Amino acid sequence: MRETYGVVLPGMNLADLTGKLIVIEGTDGVGRSTQIRLLKPWLEQQGRAVLETGMTRSSLAGKGIKQAKEGHTLGRVTLSLFYATDFADRLENEIVPALRAGFVVLTDRYIYSLMARAMVRGIDPVWIRNVYRFALKPDAVFYLRIGVDDLIPRVVFSTGFDYWESGMDLHPSEDMYESFLKYQTSLLQQFDVLGEEYGFEIVDASVDVRTVFERLRAGIARVLSGEPREPLFAVRGPKETAESRQESNVVELPSSGKVVAAGTES
Amino acid sequence: MKRYGEHRFPGKLFIVEGIDGSGKSTQLMLLHQWLQAEGYGTVFSEWNSSPLVKETTKRGKKKQMLTPATFSLIHATDFADRMEHNIIPLLKAGAVVLCDRYIYTAFARDVVRGMDPKWVRELYSFAVKPTGAFYFRVPLDVAMKRILDGRTGVKFYEAGMDLGLSEDEEESFKLFQGRILEEYEKMVPEFDLIAVDATLPIEEQQSQMRQTVRAKLAQAKRLRVAP
Repeated sequence: MRETYGVVLPGMNLADLTGKLIVIEGTDGVGRSTQIRLLKPWLEQQGRAVLETGMTRSSLAGKGIKQAKEGHTLGRVTLSLFYATDFADRLENEIVPALRAGFVVLTDRYIYSLMARAMVRGIDPVWIRNVYRFALKPDAVFYLRIGVDDLIPRVVFSTGFDYWESGMDLHPSEDMYESFLKYQTSLLQQFDVLGEEYGFEIVDASVDVRTVFERLRAGIARVLSGEPREPLFAVRGPKETAESRQESNVVELPSSGKVVAAGTES
Repeated sequence: MKRYGEHRFPGKLFIVEGIDGSGKSTQLMLLHQWLQAEGYGTVFSEWNSSPLVKETTKRGKKKQMLTPATFSLIHATDFADRMEHNIIPLLKAGAVVLCDRYIYTAFARDVVRGMDPKWVRELYSFAVKPTGAFYFRVPLDVAMKRILDGRTGVKFYEAGMDLGLSEDEEESFKLFQGRILEEYEKMVPEFDLIAVDATLPIEEQQSQMRQTVRAKLAQAKRLRVAP
């Protein structure tokens, strides 16, 4: 039966949530939405009904968050709770009904991003974990992992620096670039901690879109077939050599839990 | 992020709690006037008044789209905004801050709606612990009579209609408030709420309240605003 992280919301019956909940996590600009755009039709071709959902899109709080962020006036506890409200609304009104109807729910980020952002802003880690204890445990979390050096060119040459994604609320005296660097570095550190704690499956996102897509497909196919979590798809650690790859298919990356080594060419 | 009880500010925070019709707002208004006359820099902070979150709360209530979880979280968001932008700065500045309802209202309402009591308490752990928290204790029928006499009807969420206790609004209101009352009683020892018998004459309750507040302000003479 499906579980939560400790608190069951009133009126939520966990027994009949037969769909699959798949989370795509990763920092800003890492290519989550691109991947979801590819994954949805791929799943639908296999006859799976897909619900795609993401952050700040709830009918209750989505508009309020957008307006509040435009004014940049939210306190950090307030902002965290506004996101939690939005998440709860989406959980109850989108995710749970879809899971009950047997859908594959593909979510662009989940509670982990919300926690990471809050913690970077000095929010008590124990407190923020408690806030999200009502969240459903997903069937899998695929974390698109990237280093800040690989991230910078993507952001600069696509959307440009965004106020919030650069953590300008934290470093108001810095320029966008410096602030972005600091903010994303600490965000990525938080993700690594969360990854270990919540068992993320790590996908190297520094490679091309097609390769990331193939790896995600393999992982999702495994989740949908109900097979246990096994090293079926591959991530190459940045400093890995050809020899080490031959020795073992699994490598330990610092602070990132179990990572599957690359084996696509072999 | 500081947690409940860890804050150390020069200002003082007094709050009132109780079910609708307990007379708590009247008592707070009288206390406010007295504190001002005594020369304290006193500010009144209303429940549910943050302009930022107000729109979302209003929309959710109007369209009846709030579940126990979102009801709880949107009120916590609103409270956090008031805490961060209003109450904490005022306390830092050394003001006497008065709140009509505080986190205990949320604890009572949310738990009656089925939220996990521990979760809700932890959710509000960013709140400042009040210098004094007054609980106006009143029997349900007395409160009901005071309210229903003076009003034409109660609102959907106020009557706890979302809980499906009764089809009849007045009946639902009574059942809901009865359960809220039970939650308050549990919180009196848990949070050292100062219980005031709200069936006593108004001036008598006020005199008790002033006595307690005076004692708690004794160490805070520097708060006095020069006349």
